[in-house]
Parts: sequence; structure tokens; C-alpha cells
Amino acid sequence: MQIAIASGKGGVGKSTVTASLLYFLKDEYRLIAVDADAEAPNLGLLLGVTEWEEEREHVGAKVARINPETCIRCGICHEKCPHDSIKLVDGDYVVNQLTCEGCNVCGLVCPVPGTVTLEEVRSGVIRRATTKYGFPIISAQLDVGRPESGKLVTEEKEWAKQLMKKLDLEHMIVDSAAGIGCQVIASLGGADVAILIAEPTPASISDVRRVYKVVQHFRQPAYLIINKADINPGFRALREWAEGEGIPILGEIPYDRAIPKSMAMLKPVVEAFPEAPASRAIREIAEVIMGEILK
Amino acid sequence: MQIAVSGGKGGTGKSTIAVNLAVALANRIEIALADLDVEAPNDHLLLGVELANEEPVTQFMPKFDYSKCTRCRKCAEVCEEHAIITLKDGTPFLMPTLCSGCRACEIVCPVPGAILEGSRLVGHTYVTETPYGFPLVTGKLLEGEERSMPLVVVAKKRAQALNKDLILVDTAAGTGNTVSKAIEDSKLLIAVTEPTPLGLHDLELILELGRLMSIPTWIVVNRADLGDVKEVEKLATKYGAEIVAEIPYSEAIVRSYVAGRPIVLKDGPEAEIFKGLADRVAEFLKEVI
Repeated sequence: MQIAIASGKGGVGKSTVTASLLYFLKDEYRLIAVDADAEAPNLGLLLGVTEWEEEREHVGAKVARINPETCIRCGICHEKCPHDSIKLVDGDYVVNQLTCEGCNVCGLVCPVPGTVTLEEVRSGVIRRATTKYGFPIISAQLDVGRPESGKLVTEEKEWAKQLMKKLDLEHMIVDSAAGIGCQVIASLGGADVAILIAEPTPASISDVRRVYKVVQHFRQPAYLIINKADINPGFRALREWAEGEGIPILGEIPYDRAIPKSMAMLKPVVEAFPEAPASRAIREIAEVIMGEILK
Repeated sequence: MQIAVSGGKGGTGKSTIAVNLAVALANRIEIALADLDVEAPNDHLLLGVELANEEPVTQFMPKFDYSKCTRCRKCAEVCEEHAIITLKDGTPFLMPTLCSGCRACEIVCPVPGAILEGSRLVGHTYVTETPYGFPLVTGKLLEGEERSMPLVVVAKKRAQALNKDLILVDTAAGTGNTVSKAIEDSKLLIAVTEPTPLGLHDLELILELGRLMSIPTWIVVNRADLGDVKEVEKLATKYGAEIVAEIPYSEAIVRSYVAGRPIVLKDGPEAEIFKGLADRVAEFLKEVI
């Protein structure tokens, strides 16, 4: 089974909760973890990975370059670039390598053949390691300023699927990025179940509603975990929204200083402080997941 | 003039810093706040305002006139996104969600009128007047759409069209090219981080982005008491960045965040930190102008 964990908003505790759930599930199932937050991957760190055992470069991004020697400065590339990525710098038209989407429109409109070239560049790396808990993890790191982190996530999941076959693993747990764009769509695509994590704040509910709409596109069953459940007493909107949509609530985790402390120790909170209120809540949620989703 | 607030990792407090800084700067300078976290825009919630003045953002999508199409396949060959597939006889079909709207197909099509102007709604931009003396520009990607780049570009242009002295940009998490697009044109990058191992990991990426873009970078350490600020100082030294503020973890900030009322408006130590940061930014602006 493939489970994707998403939140829309960053910082609501996705990786913390994922790492802790993996810690409990590892004793019962043969798992693989996928960190699909390719722009800010942190799950490996939380699971004690210090060295990667295998690394694959991902060459797939394309960026345009303009040869200043042959460029006649007509400016049509600047005018036609759909993403406003070509600027006049000291009299030369220059493609901003950090914002180019690689569509090659500049190359197509350029009147001087050979002046614009579309180059394949490295978009990032995908890595594999064995966590200190014994199960494998696949993680990715997009190079700074590269487009299409979604493609990197799709590659990650392909690699994870191969490993699942090879190692006879049962479940893939995908920790997705913040947002609702290509990375998150690639994280959710193909998943059997989505677990949403939100906190009781107006910002978090706004974002989790948006990611739930993406989940609905995929017609996936969704569940909700409410994190930092007590930071906003009286805020009922999150629970009411979930109930209104028919999204089962797997449990609530209280705000607990043990969580940031455990993150500073680079350990899942349930390992660092097993008796902390948050850890006890996550243990109960893990039991519900085992009983209702992974049964 | 533009300044960007960014931070690599999600949840570090980018929006809190951007919103409070905007409020603190608004009585000194004509400013617009631009929320370019188009996948999860929240600045309006933190400011307690309803989004207003909605404008649709549409993207070009090729529409094939099959009576004119010669089945030459050029459109499919040139599509870098592989959004156009062709049947055996060369008849092209579009897979709309893959289309980036770049018009490469239209440019290469040899038959005038074989590719018609189609369009698809991909999101909206908003310009909302706030009760704090500045407008908020927001880009919001439609759910199910993959590409945030067009929203970032259009929202940024809408902010620029307001002709304010300063645009304060709040970016998305991450360091991909849509974050670079949001930061582009900034005279200063304010990187928000937490002094934890995870925060440091992501801070380094955003400092690297600032270096590649040649933008002077400041660091604001949020929840500064959660870890060791000395580690942030090491990274700051490595990248020639400067730590300009340290904000402790604060229940008052959480409460103001939840209530949609910026903390800088209240009296207290947190407000003083934001006012101090605004002073630094105001000094910086004087030097640059």
C-alpha cells in the first residue's frame, strides 16, 4: 500500500509526525519511506541518516543559453519568453538560469540559428539509505533554482517501487512537500490513501482544504491528524470541516515542547521522549492506522 | 525597489515576519506586500482581511483546428513538456495539465490558423486594501494545477503596477525556480530560519540561492531559544550574511497569528523586535536609494 502524508501548509509537523509513525509501524510491517519534499528534504535527518549509500544524478531539467557572440540584440526572445526570464544585462540578452523553465520558446523565435541553445542540466540528486531503524529511505534534493521538482519526486517513487519489489516490502510512506503544486501532485499520484495533517489555525485550515481538493481529484480516501490541537482553544472550524467532508480524524496531538526538543536531537519524538503527551497521542494514532488503514 | 522574505523550509515563520515587517514599515514608506506563496497563500489570514479585487490568471492552451492541421507533428516534437501526443496518422492531442502555455507549438506550426487560441484558468490574483495602510497583492494557484510559475509572474507584475516605493515579497517554501522568480529583482533577501539542525540545513540552501543571485542577505532567527544560534552564526559567516534579529518562541506571537492581528501593533518585547527590524530595513533603503 502507498500512503501519502500531506498538509498544504509547511511547518504543521508533517515530517515530525511521519518520522514518529514510521518508528511505530516499522515493527509491524516491511516499509519504505520516501521524502518527497525535494526542495527541503528533512525526513532522512530525522531518521538518523548521516550517509547515503547510493546516489543517482537526475539530469532532466533544461535551460536556455544565448551566445552573445552571435546574438544580434533584436530582443524578440526577451519579448516572447513566457516566464519573463530573459533580461538585458549590460547590453546583452541573458537567460536567468535560476528562473528558466526550459520551454525553448526563445530558441524558436531567435532569427540567428545556433544563437540560443537548450542545454540539459542536472536538476538534482536522488539518494537511498538505510535508516538506523532498518528500513530504507529514498530522498531527493533539487538543485537550487531548478524547475520541475515534481519530476524528481516521480523518479523517487519509481526507485522506491523497484526496491519494494526487490526487498519484498509491503508499504510505501510518502512525506510530501508543502503546497499543492507539481511536487505535491507527484507525491499524491498513485497513493492509495492520503493522510492530511493540519493545526487549528485559519492558515492551516485554508491550506489543508486546498490540498484536499487535489486529493479529491485523485479520488483517494483521506484521513486527518490534528497537530498542536490545543494551541487555539475554541477553534472548531478544522474539526467541523473534517466532519462535514466525512474525513475521519485519526487523532489529535497536543502542542508539546518535547517535539522541538526531539527535532534538535534529530530523533522522532516518540523515541526521544516516549512518555511525552505528544508521543502518547502519536502512539494511539499509529494503532488506529494499523487497525483501520493497514489492516 | 523590492525586498524578499524567504526561508527554504516551510513553517519557519516567513509570513509572520513579512506581515509584521510590512505593518511596521507602512508608516514610513509607501509599500505593498506581495504574497507569492501561490500554493499556500496566507498573509491575508494573518492580516485578518478578506481577499478582494479578484482577477483571473489564464494560460494559453493550443486548440487544434483539425480541418487545417496537416499532421506534420512539429507541435508535438517541439513541446518540451510532452503535453502534445500524436496518433499514428499525426493527429495531435493535448494533455491540458501538462501544458505550460509557452506557445512553442503555435510558433512552429506551419499552417496559419491550425492552432487556435485556447485558454485555461490556472488561478487568481488579488489586491486587497488592508487597515494598516498598505495593499496586499496575493497570487493563488487553482487546486489541481501543477505550475505555480505563471501565478508568481502575474502576481509580481500586479504588485509592480501599484508603483509603490517598496514591494515586500513573501515567497513559498523551498528553493526551486518559482522561489527564485519571486526573489528576482530584490535588493535584499531576508532569510528566516530556526536554529535547529533541520532549519540550518534549509537555511544553507536559501543562502546558496542568495549567493547565486548576488543579493545581499540578512538572517532572522525565529524561535531563537529552540536551539543554538551559534550554529546559525557559522553559516552566516560562511555566506557573508548578517543576523539582524532574534525572535524567541512566544505564545503572544502564536495568539496574534491565530487571531489575524499582527503582533507589532501591540506593546511588548515582540513588537519591539519587529520595530527594530523595520528600523534596519528603513536604514538599508536610505543607503540604497
